[in-house]
Amino acid sequence: MTAPASEGHRTARFRVLRRKAGDAAPHFDDFDVAVGPDSTVLEALVAIRRDQDPSLTLRHSCFHASCGTCGMRVDGQEGLACVTKVGDASEVTVEPLANLPVVSDLVVAMDPFYDGLEPLGRPLVRSSENIPGALPDGVEAYTRYEDCIECGICLSACPIAGSDPLYVGPAAIAAAWRVVEEPRGREPGPVMRLMDDDQAAWRCHVAWECSEACPSGVDPARAIMQVRRKAAGARARRLFGMGGRS
Amino acid sequence: MTSDTRPVEPPPSRDEGPRSAPPFVGQVVSGAVLIVLLGLHMVAQHFIVPSGLRFYDDVIEWLSNPVMVAIEVAFLVFVTYHALVGVRAILFDFGFGKRTERLITNLLWVVGIVTVVYGVALLAAILNAA
Amino acid sequence: MATTVDRPRPAAGGEEGRRGATGWFDPRGRRMGGLAFILNRLTGIGLVLYLYLHLVILSMLARGPEAWDQFVDIALSPPFLALDVLLLTGLLIHGLNGIRVGLVGLGFVASRQRAMFIALMVVAALVAIAGALRIFSGE
Repeated sequence: MTAPASEGHRTARFRVLRRKAGDAAPHFDDFDVAVGPDSTVLEALVAIRRDQDPSLTLRHSCFHASCGTCGMRVDGQEGLACVTKVGDASEVTVEPLANLPVVSDLVVAMDPFYDGLEPLGRPLVRSSENIPGALPDGVEAYTRYEDCIECGICLSACPIAGSDPLYVGPAAIAAAWRVVEEPRGREPGPVMRLMDDDQAAWRCHVAWECSEACPSGVDPARAIMQVRRKAAGARARRLFGMGGRS
Repeated sequence: MTSDTRPVEPPPSRDEGPRSAPPFVGQVVSGAVLIVLLGLHMVAQHFIVPSGLRFYDDVIEWLSNPVMVAIEVAFLVFVTYHALVGVRAILFDFGFGKRTERLITNLLWVVGIVTVVYGVALLAAILNAA
Repeated sequence: MATTVDRPRPAAGGEEGRRGATGWFDPRGRRMGGLAFILNRLTGIGLVLYLYLHLVILSMLARGPEAWDQFVDIALSPPFLALDVLLLTGLLIHGLNGIRVGLVGLGFVASRQRAMFIALMVVAALVAIAGALRIFSGE
């Protein structure tokens, strides 16, 4: 399947993993697409759907790495398709995010992601955003954690999320750590107790894939380690009779 | 459309009982001890003992030194702990659930105790056979 | 006005989408930390197996000098020496990366985790090479 190339453009082959409801197994379909020097993977996929195969299912919205909707794996690495350049590649492999159920082709169900995020931090972060009053001094230093666009890329990149359905995931722990760092009148104790758990902060094996893959600079791996440091420190203080709670 | 923005308390922790030190901290401590003990083990065997403990008599002489025995037993205890906590961590990466996790932990305690007892009994058997 | 939205059902046969345990060891698409995780897990499993193998081998000492000397003859053959080098390499990788995991995993020097891994693996490689030369030289 080919789309015509115009002047200044060349043709690149896109291998796209396909799977529809009822399919016994996924398979790759190949599409030759005209791309320019600044073409993105998302632009190519939209062109495939428009010109070659309208049955290709994918999600996208903002086209500028703000909504987190177009997360997928390109040549094996997670990223937002809207800002992933085709570059000089002659062949590009595109697959849906890993560790989340595939709905159709490149679309995954985000429910497991939100299931981990919701009880730990998501509602708390939203609530703290709405507490009226002046922002505390120095809060700008923490605003990068608000950059989480809930794309699910960290969960896809995590090797443990691949085998452990109970692991809450990097995004949830990073979101909860925001509450600990900036309580804004909330009590961080219950949040810390939730994260100080075998299936939360202590499940991580320091692969750092989540932070490397995150397109938004959230650095969830660092947040997980900060939780561990705080939890371990509290335990050490209790052990040596210096008080302190996690 | 209005959204409810009242602060929400997180649900109770899944485990409200007293929290034991996470095994990760135990891994770090035992790992640090092992780096020292293994270093001593390697240096002594390959740089101090002339034959590198190849010959039976050299091994028996080595094990007849109570300081060496203490180091080797300590090494066995720490390496067994570190190894089996590592196995536990790998098994927990399957997300089996709390009940199965407790069963795994108890089984590994048994394996660990049997390993250390076997090692100490073996040491005694070696010295008796000499 | 409330609306109900059907949750998308996963495609048949691919419900979980999870890579599973085999995904732990798949290096495709992995960055440096992910490769460190693979190495740590592989060497850890190898060393656990070696621990129990070592305890079994040491039982030959309880059978007297003949049994032990017979084993040592085999252990000094080149294939076994190669396994010794493999063991040494595994110990170095696991131990030195373990320093990184221990420090970073408790929230220390997290921003330096990549540099630490590179530096520690360079040390591991150098010591492994030195060890291999010593092992094969018969010293």
